[in-house]
Amino acid sequence: MSITSEFSKGLWKTIPPFRLVLGLCPTLAVTTSGINGIGMGMATTFVLIFSNLFVSLLRNFIPRQVRIASFIVIIASFVVIVELVMQAYFYQLFKVLGIFIPLIVVNCIILGRAEAFASKHGPVVSLADGLGIGLGFTLSLFVLGCIRELLGSGSILGIYVMWSSFEPFAFMLKPPGAFVALGILLALMNLISHHQARKGG
Amino acid sequence: MRDIVKMIVVLSLIAAASGLSLSLIHRATKGPIEYQTIKFVKEPAVKKVLTGYDNDPIADRKKIVVGLDEKGRPRELIIFPAKKGAETFAVALEGKGKGFHGLIGVMVGVSRDGQLLDIGITAHSETPGVGSKVADVSFTNQFKGLPIDKEPTVDAISGATYSSRGVVAAVSQAVGYVKKFRKEIF
Repeated sequence: MSITSEFSKGLWKTIPPFRLVLGLCPTLAVTTSGINGIGMGMATTFVLIFSNLFVSLLRNFIPRQVRIASFIVIIASFVVIVELVMQAYFYQLFKVLGIFIPLIVVNCIILGRAEAFASKHGPVVSLADGLGIGLGFTLSLFVLGCIRELLGSGSILGIYVMWSSFEPFAFMLKPPGAFVALGILLALMNLISHHQARKGG
Repeated sequence: MRDIVKMIVVLSLIAAASGLSLSLIHRATKGPIEYQTIKFVKEPAVKKVLTGYDNDPIADRKKIVVGLDEKGRPRELIIFPAKKGAETFAVALEGKGKGFHGLIGVMVGVSRDGQLLDIGITAHSETPGVGSKVADVSFTNQFKGLPIDKEPTVDAISGATYSSRGVVAAVSQAVGYVKKFRKEIF
């Protein structure tokens, strides 16, 4: 259980939201473009790193009976910090992500990591775990956002890349498009894993 | 018993620490947030309603106190002056009126001689496609050139009476401020 393995497991083995099928609400809602995916992912990563760190530091001090309440207070504080800082320095991103920033509080990934990991492990590994899972989440949201942006508006990161007669699938920018794109990505990942498992033995 | 006391103490301590740090961060970000809202929400509206100035109305903005809010704190209004040379010939200020869904914010340009120059909607949550039409130029243009000493009369948007009235109420509020605080504003 080294620090590097705790970090890297978030990038493929338990990458959210594909492997840990948690945190789907922001995943489906904000990934209409690559940049939104990165913004949401970074905000979540920040909250995840600090909530993991603080939960882990306070793990012997918090009585078991009130642990969920304490975790939520810690998580909510960092979410408000993210919200204020984003509003103060990244106003346009804040306007796009809007209601989904406060909703990071109830993102299952964060409470899940606090409860299942940080409350049982030391601060350094918890930090590595939070960073790994957070970056994995950012990566997933970015990929999903890019696919939807490419098919839904014909551009990547705001730059138009498709041919001129390309007719954008507006469907991909709507919520059902998010489900379809997520499902296809999940299937692809499972296919790769299957393939690897068969090769390995 | 000891467990209960411990629970209460720990949870209270965590909540207090969180409250303290958040209030500090709130104080630190208050200025930048105000600047960002002015830049992204108010500035486009100010630029729409004022023309022909040679200063920067955003940088020259000033605050006047227009009464007290429910908690007894002074309610501030931001004035964006348009100047030619040293003379302020028009100002932009925001009024709010009750629409169909909550308040509608309207930036109103008023000239020194008492005319409405133009209006621009800064914030609204009206029904998309119906009430949201109050932000269209065809509606807002009706306010151009109306005198401020009369209640503004405009054609309402069919199906969006409440939203149209909300805009008129917001304009009236802004005009009311101009009349009441003329000395401070110009």
